[in-house]
Amino acid sequence: MLRPFELCEPTSVAEASGLLAQHGDAARLYAGGTELLLAMKEGLVHYDYLVNLKTVPGLAGLRRDADGTLRIGAAATHRALEREPLVREHFPALARLEADVANVRVRAVGTLGGNLCFAEPHADPGPLLQVFAATARLERAGGERTVPLTALFRGPYETCLEGDEVLTEIAVPPLPPRSAAAYLKFGYLERPSVGVAVALTLDDGRVADARVAVGCVGPVPCRMPEAEAMLRDRAIDESVAALAEAGRRAGQAADAVTDLHGSADFKAHLVGVLLKRAFAQALASLRDGSPVL
Amino acid sequence: MAAEHLSVVGRSVPRLDAREKVTGEARYVSDLVLPGLVHAKLWRSPVPHARLLGVETSRAASAPGVLAVCTAADLPVARLYYGPAFRDQPILAHEEVRFAGEPVVAAVADTEAHAEAAVGLLEVRYEEQPAATSAELALASGAPLVHPQRERAGRFRDLAGLRPVPGTNVCHHFEYARGDRARAFAEADLVVDEVYRYPALSHHALEPHCAVARLDEDGLTVWTGTQHPFAVRKELAEIFDLPLARVQVVVPLVGGAFGGKCYTKIEPIAAALAARVGRPVRLALSLEESARTVTRHAVTVRLRTAVRRDGTLLARECDAVLDTGAYADIGPRVATKAGYRAPGPYRIPALRIEARCVYTHNVPAGAYRGYGVPQVTWASESQMDVLAERLGLDPLAFRLKNLLKRGEEYVAGDTPMDGDLAEGLQGTAQAVDWGAALGPGRGRGLAVAMKDGGGTHTVSSAVVRIHADGSVSLLAGTVEVGQGAQTVLAQIAAETLGVPFESVVVALPDTSLTPYDHGTSASRSTTVMGLAVQAAARDARLQLCALAADRLGADPAALDVRDGRVVHGAHSLTVAEVVRGHFGFVGGEVTGVGSFVPTTWSGTLGGATVFWETGMGAAEVEVDAETGAVRLRRYVSAADVGQAINPRECAAQDEGAAMQGLGPALFEARVGEAGQLLNPGLIDYRLPTFADLPDRLDTLLVENGDGPGPFGAKGVGESGTFCVAPAVGNALARAVGVRLTELPLTPERVWRALQAARGDGPPP
Amino acid sequence: MDPMKEVPMTVTVNGERHQLTVPPWETLIECLRDRLGLLGVKKSCEVQVCGACTVLLDDRPVSACTVLAFEARGTHVRTIEGLARGDDLHPVQAAFVEHGALQCGFCTPGMIMATVALLEENPTPTADQVKRYMRGNICRCTGYKRILEAILAASRQPGHAGPGDGR
Repeated sequence: MLRPFELCEPTSVAEASGLLAQHGDAARLYAGGTELLLAMKEGLVHYDYLVNLKTVPGLAGLRRDADGTLRIGAAATHRALEREPLVREHFPALARLEADVANVRVRAVGTLGGNLCFAEPHADPGPLLQVFAATARLERAGGERTVPLTALFRGPYETCLEGDEVLTEIAVPPLPPRSAAAYLKFGYLERPSVGVAVALTLDDGRVADARVAVGCVGPVPCRMPEAEAMLRDRAIDESVAALAEAGRRAGQAADAVTDLHGSADFKAHLVGVLLKRAFAQALASLRDGSPVL
Repeated sequence: MAAEHLSVVGRSVPRLDAREKVTGEARYVSDLVLPGLVHAKLWRSPVPHARLLGVETSRAASAPGVLAVCTAADLPVARLYYGPAFRDQPILAHEEVRFAGEPVVAAVADTEAHAEAAVGLLEVRYEEQPAATSAELALASGAPLVHPQRERAGRFRDLAGLRPVPGTNVCHHFEYARGDRARAFAEADLVVDEVYRYPALSHHALEPHCAVARLDEDGLTVWTGTQHPFAVRKELAEIFDLPLARVQVVVPLVGGAFGGKCYTKIEPIAAALAARVGRPVRLALSLEESARTVTRHAVTVRLRTAVRRDGTLLARECDAVLDTGAYADIGPRVATKAGYRAPGPYRIPALRIEARCVYTHNVPAGAYRGYGVPQVTWASESQMDVLAERLGLDPLAFRLKNLLKRGEEYVAGDTPMDGDLAEGLQGTAQAVDWGAALGPGRGRGLAVAMKDGGGTHTVSSAVVRIHADGSVSLLAGTVEVGQGAQTVLAQIAAETLGVPFESVVVALPDTSLTPYDHGTSASRSTTVMGLAVQAAARDARLQLCALAADRLGADPAALDVRDGRVVHGAHSLTVAEVVRGHFGFVGGEVTGVGSFVPTTWSGTLGGATVFWETGMGAAEVEVDAETGAVRLRRYVSAADVGQAINPRECAAQDEGAAMQGLGPALFEARVGEAGQLLNPGLIDYRLPTFADLPDRLDTLLVENGDGPGPFGAKGVGESGTFCVAPAVGNALARAVGVRLTELPLTPERVWRALQAARGDGPPP
Repeated sequence: MDPMKEVPMTVTVNGERHQLTVPPWETLIECLRDRLGLLGVKKSCEVQVCGACTVLLDDRPVSACTVLAFEARGTHVRTIEGLARGDDLHPVQAAFVEHGALQCGFCTPGMIMATVALLEENPTPTADQVKRYMRGNICRCTGYKRILEAILAASRQPGHAGPGDGR
């Protein structure tokens, strides 16, 4: 059962930030609550004040800029991302990922911003947003900054947000032309055990760019520069031939931990398997001419 | 069996409880509201073994809404200890805690929130002690003794044979041997010797344990979702030193049980707290607390089998070790049954079986759908395939050669095999297209198993009341745990009486109103309670015919009752006319009484098996060799039901059992570390979901009308769980050539085995 | 604005408007069961995995165990109690009865509400779509086969999304 707390319902980001500053560690931002309320019910954490971000207007919106950048309000739900035609049409890999987050009830309530800020290691969106080179806008009463998703996560349940900062928007730039992305995950428990995202850009029969990110297996989702370097800027066949080794390197670099989801070496192995399959899926969609963006 | 002479038996009538369950009107214990009801919450031990030094209760006791804070010493009871086999479990831990999660202190308050807040204010001082947190550790020399002394409960005839081993943690040692084993093993062409492991499981019935208790001058009333209302009554009567007639145990609909609600669980806590505060007390556990209340036994089985080159089984040795946790619960019986059933349904001349039930500092293990059969079947049916493979025989042909035939003896003194195992297994294999070609990464596997069904020498009784308007009340103590017992018993009553099914109303169990029943377990209700209901209905029908005889001018024996009418040739009276005609305006009713009391007190189990509950399974799996993921694509389950009283519900029982059995086959296991349960809830304990439903799931009901139950019925409900894991394991081996001996067959285990088989890594 | 210890709200539950004042920490399941007596909403896993407490907030299925009661402000909450019209079962309820898609019944209210949400969104799902959508509703008894049959049968009924919606 939840222990008593008080509810703050700000109507602006500045007000929300001010409440966080005022109450310090006694307050926490609350959006969908799908992770936070579980932790509070378990008695793992307690806050005297929950600051309801959903009463701040405009934070649940989705829009696409002229340059194709998708701007996702932090309070947009997984379900909205799953179903919104804008996302399905222009960022189908993200829509597919969102359609497979937890279950439909969690998706109906849980928000992308909350998911990222809670920084539960066994979560889906981080790696895919990282290969899209997405950024997060962090606002506070005195100003705002933009951080890449690769810099957002500091450790399990830990982000780079200052105590009074509010994640307000995630910006997802489009991939270059002739690009496709894929996210694959593996696991049999309620949360995913391994997640691998790949984005490929082809140019004249070559893999002009390859981006790889791994989530769930280590403390934080992260890009895999070594694996990317082995796959990028080479003929497709060479890239494909390098997949096994790239997967091995990514598995090593993922800093896998042993937990209820499995042993570190098994997870490192799975990173390689999923990388190979995600690469193949992205490549196949490009060859079909129907990009799996 | 030809069912044309039957009117409602053999028909898939809708369940009596269907409507209330789809409208949300069905009421479970957890829905019960009483005037003045207060709520209890428990402080549970964080460590597996400790000496209790003291509890600081004052802050909790003065918290808002708190009525009482109780330790074991504060409970107004005549006896603190209870248990079906040994009286070894305290209502609240006394002086010592023996498992992490054991209830130590209870807080009672006006609301659940206040009770929970009070628990958070308790300070319990304890001194941690060395803990034996696995059967292996508990059997090691110098292991701490979980219970240096034990008091036998003396409650059940089959447990008179309890054999604790003094000075050890073994609370029961079952042994059975026959034949010349030395010679058999010496003469064998092949001996396979392997250790198989089956993990501890959580029942996770969706309704967690809940009990509501009220004590007043009339006595004690407890509402609870137990499967054994009469055993709970007896236990409570002893705890409070009350006559049985002053203890009333009422069981509403139960939100799943699967053995986890067998015998006494949290009822004594609720009752003792009600006695303490003088108000009705509700104790509702969370699902995670239920997982800290009872488990399925983790079992390690060493199995050694001798066979001739032609596939003839010669001898089998089994040494099973069961982790029964900190309190014996019904573990000794589980051990006996696991051992008794370990050889499998085969003709094996020489046997030596040992099963040791071992106390540990883990959560108590008790009954779970199949009482040890799934665990030993994992071992025995896996080994059958290994034997077949090494002999170069088809696993189906090898089994058919050795299966018991109808009328053959399993163990001297017990009921001979009462079904056609070979026919069932062949049908199962055929249904899964055994022998047809499969693509790469796919394989099929078979398994067959049986248990002594119906419970060993258990009693059931029933009362049938025919009212003056012709409607019928059936009083039977069988608990509706979801198995459809109410519907099936009503069908038996209606068929026997010759009245419409719709006219029968079945009462829920209430030990002060419904007559005695042993309990709802062991697939016994359709057969054993069914016979009691049939007897009661026959009794009522005879009386009815006697009352009608004069008015119809016929001999009672010449009368028939059908469709609610007592018939003699062209003349008939309605049942209502007969009852009203006899009693007149003052009113009255016809009351029939029936019971089933076993008469054979022989055999290794202490009583003859009522019927053999047999199950067959055939699986087709697909293996992802890169990830190790195993997916069940097809499954065929066969159950010998004798005569299906309600075919749809029989098949539904079997399907549900099969899918439940898929859990431990592929992903279910309690994970413990130094006595701590790491996955008490559903985030990290994976139950079968919709997504696991295979492309095809088929159930074959074998109906030869040869059961001892009413209309030739045999029980069903457990057998579907027996074969899933070995069938899947055998299919896995045939798909990709690796054989695992430990469940569940997680992707990681399968991957490691494949690595080892390729010589790429260390063996699993 | 000062922090709130109580949240006033108007909510429509199964077609009936309620004015309530709830503490912020009250969960929707506590509100529905303890305050409004809607005992068909079942509490089981409490971690949003099992789906026994599934209710619909407007058209969204949610886990009442982990949604705060005040989040229902201004919405129409639909529970199992609101589906049937008098003696007439909702087509999904009728399909569950007809196909024997229940045993102990504890998951049934949540299972049915999830089905209603599914069919309102996708009136003619394939078997795979049903399995995917419903994988967050756990049944320990039936093995799902008959539930799948019931859902597919209900989807073939004209007007299955009709009588229960009450709006």
